[in-house]
Amino acid sequence: MRFILRRIGFYLIAFWVSITLNFLLPRFMPGDPISRMLSRSQDKMTAEQVLQLQKLFGMDDRPLIQQYVSYIGDVLTGNMGVSISRFPTPVSEVIASQIGWTLLLGATSLIIAALIGNLLGILAAWRRGSLIDSALPPFLIFIGSFPYFWLAMGALYLFGIVLGWFPLRHAYDSELDAGLSWAFISSVAYHLFLPALTIVLVSIGGWMLGMRNTMIATNSEDYITMAEAKGLRSRRIMLRYAARNAMLPSVTSFGMGLGFVVGGALLTETVFAYPGVGYQLLTAVQGLDYPLMQGLFLIITGAVLLANLLVDIVYVRLDPRVRTH
Amino acid sequence: MSRPQRWKPLRLAAAALVTGALALAGCSQPATQPSSPAAGGGDGKDYSDTPLTLPREDMGTFTRNFNPFSPNAAPMTQQAIYEPLLIFSATSGQTTPWLATEWKVGTDGKSVEFTIRPGVKWSDGEPLTADDVVYTFELQKKLLGGYEYVDKVSAADGKVTFSFNKPYSPALFEIGQHIIIPKHIWSEIKDPAKATNEKPVGSGPYTEITRFAAQAFELGKNSNYWQPDKQKIAGIKMLAFSGNDGANLAAVNGDVDWTDQFMPNIEKTFVSKDPAHRHYWFPPTGSMINWQLNTTKAPFNDPVVRKALSMAVDRDQVTKIGMNGYTGPADCTGLSGSYEKWKDTALRDKCEWTKLNVEQANQMLDQAGYTKDADGKRKLKDGKPFEFKFSVGATSSDWLSVANVIAQNMDAIGVTVKVDSPDWAQVVAGYEQGDFDSGIVWSPNDPAPYKYFAAMMSTRTVKPVGKKATENYQRFGDPRADALLDKFSGTSDEAAQKDAINQLQQLFDENAPVIPLFPGPEWGAYNDLRFTGWPNEQNPYASLSARSVQTVLILTSLEPRKG
Repeated sequence: MRFILRRIGFYLIAFWVSITLNFLLPRFMPGDPISRMLSRSQDKMTAEQVLQLQKLFGMDDRPLIQQYVSYIGDVLTGNMGVSISRFPTPVSEVIASQIGWTLLLGATSLIIAALIGNLLGILAAWRRGSLIDSALPPFLIFIGSFPYFWLAMGALYLFGIVLGWFPLRHAYDSELDAGLSWAFISSVAYHLFLPALTIVLVSIGGWMLGMRNTMIATNSEDYITMAEAKGLRSRRIMLRYAARNAMLPSVTSFGMGLGFVVGGALLTETVFAYPGVGYQLLTAVQGLDYPLMQGLFLIITGAVLLANLLVDIVYVRLDPRVRTH
Repeated sequence: MSRPQRWKPLRLAAAALVTGALALAGCSQPATQPSSPAAGGGDGKDYSDTPLTLPREDMGTFTRNFNPFSPNAAPMTQQAIYEPLLIFSATSGQTTPWLATEWKVGTDGKSVEFTIRPGVKWSDGEPLTADDVVYTFELQKKLLGGYEYVDKVSAADGKVTFSFNKPYSPALFEIGQHIIIPKHIWSEIKDPAKATNEKPVGSGPYTEITRFAAQAFELGKNSNYWQPDKQKIAGIKMLAFSGNDGANLAAVNGDVDWTDQFMPNIEKTFVSKDPAHRHYWFPPTGSMINWQLNTTKAPFNDPVVRKALSMAVDRDQVTKIGMNGYTGPADCTGLSGSYEKWKDTALRDKCEWTKLNVEQANQMLDQAGYTKDADGKRKLKDGKPFEFKFSVGATSSDWLSVANVIAQNMDAIGVTVKVDSPDWAQVVAGYEQGDFDSGIVWSPNDPAPYKYFAAMMSTRTVKPVGKKATENYQRFGDPRADALLDKFSGTSDEAAQKDAINQLQQLFDENAPVIPLFPGPEWGAYNDLRFTGWPNEQNPYASLSARSVQTVLILTSLEPRKG
């Protein structure tokens, strides 16, 4: 219990540091939101309109320290303000409309990649020198080292355009209304397949290799030899003895991965025109939309810290060594 | 959404790998001619119930915000839902009366009177009156400001009179092209700046939101529209894309009817898939794109240097390589194709400093005292090497190649130009503060070149270095320009206006405040398989932009094919 409390204390400090950075970093970037809008709209905006927007947005030109105090207050009360790049929609609404798709895409591909990758890693380490051990890891690493943009474009081209098996864009058929109908859910799954597949493809190799390597180290431990000497069934030794001990690093990476899911998958969203917060984050940064940036960073920070906390708690359960400290 | 595939997949080869492949292919293409609209028939299907489909490449997702005062309102808010009093089209040079049937500019240039079209109704059935117009400008001034020259707006007998505090002739189009909102709706809204106006009431042809999702939305007919015979298409459907590639893919695949984002090598990627139905038209009516030199710094404060640099620019190469041959070179009037009728043709025909002439450029620099050293590199008068930066945003790949072509061109006169391409925001911050060397910028593009010349040469738009400027980044001012601009804005007599603009062009020619490169083309491509009646070179009633004031002209001209 003391371990957990100590961790929570650490996380509170980490949270404060990161929200302070969230506040400071965007303000060190050159320009202001309106000149950014001007540079993006190019000839579509006149000098008068710039002044008009300054008036409309009511730009905050108080000293930084005052802005900081009210920012901390806003973070604690969950008030994220109004987005500038999507003015006048509140930040919470902008994020809420997209976060679901991000979680769906990110969590689905993370869980599938981690599950299959780890299982393959366990098998590869257990059957050293077999086809699955010698051929699969290099192949998956090969796939994984393609530039993601290229791989996704290629998949979209092959399966979307040439073969016509999958849709070219969006999260569901725009003729459908969102709801709990079979048509809608199947359309969502159908549209999800290709984007998720490409993410799984590029990330699975890392999972497999990581698991395989720790598993090989575990396999040479004395307790494995002991278990074999006792005549336990091979599968039992593989899963309950070797894999259980070898999976600790994977649990950490999974926890980290889960936290970063909320950051969105920018390239996937761009190639497959899939909704999500990744593109919103990009436009927020490009447009110096402080409120939206702060809102998104806050959620990402929160999610990463929370996921780490969960991993810590799971560790207490999985690894007795942690408990003895 | 998935439509049946019409085209053999292999023929779409270039489509998916848009970025790299097309950028390369673009270079080998000679200047493309707009394809002439052949009379291709439809495919025998009836499209009366099909919405007109357009992509929007700069919004990854849509937000339900139809507030016309918001800079981020959903697409079509200003085009299909709300309408202006009049519409000026640069491609045809015509002004079309819209919510106003006629207008009179006061003889002293200090007022404009609009007659509001009788019988127009809002989409909720209420009549549109002169009071709505008055209220629109009240709210505009309250929320956004602007229109400082407007003293008083008053309504009487279906007429609205705007009185000004000074003679100001550009007001007609500024006021006339402002969209009009219903008073009975907006006066009830508590905080109009922050309203998202989810169920808009407008006077336009397509005002009903029939479906709204973050990735796509549809607009249906306004049942009270004042031109019911012109609402021939069933509705408008917008699709969201986070970038040009996805939107271009949708166009190549035939999923959208009309698209106005940049498409590299359009002839090959888009038109060749179905030349009978697919067309594009890029009239040079966008704003003039200039190479601006910071005239507060030496040697750019010397007009001879500016002209010499301009003469070393190979504009044919710039437009061919940088702009895919989608536009042509600029001339020394500084005016883009949208100001065609204002151009001083006598001056245009004897332009010198906007024509490639490396020999003369070298001579001019030699005479002005910028001597070459043994390596053929020029020195400034203080002995430092003649080298400077060309700042352009990293994301504008077309302008970046323009900058690179120019940097190469400058080698011929012994001047070193370093292309500097950080993020646009940093580039613009440099322009605004006045600490840049040189850069590439757009310019104002209104019905009359008043603001254009004000931003080029007026002392009133010059901000001191270190103080934020939003126009006239080159910080050039000439009091003679101010006098001419006043002469223009102070008269409504066309001959006198033309005379003032001619003199401004001569002043531009004399000073070269910026180096004009090329008029920006107004992108636009369409597929007339499902709808006909598009504007093109033969019928230039509007440009193919889907986000300008004239867009409604196209929306009210299109007709579905009926088999």
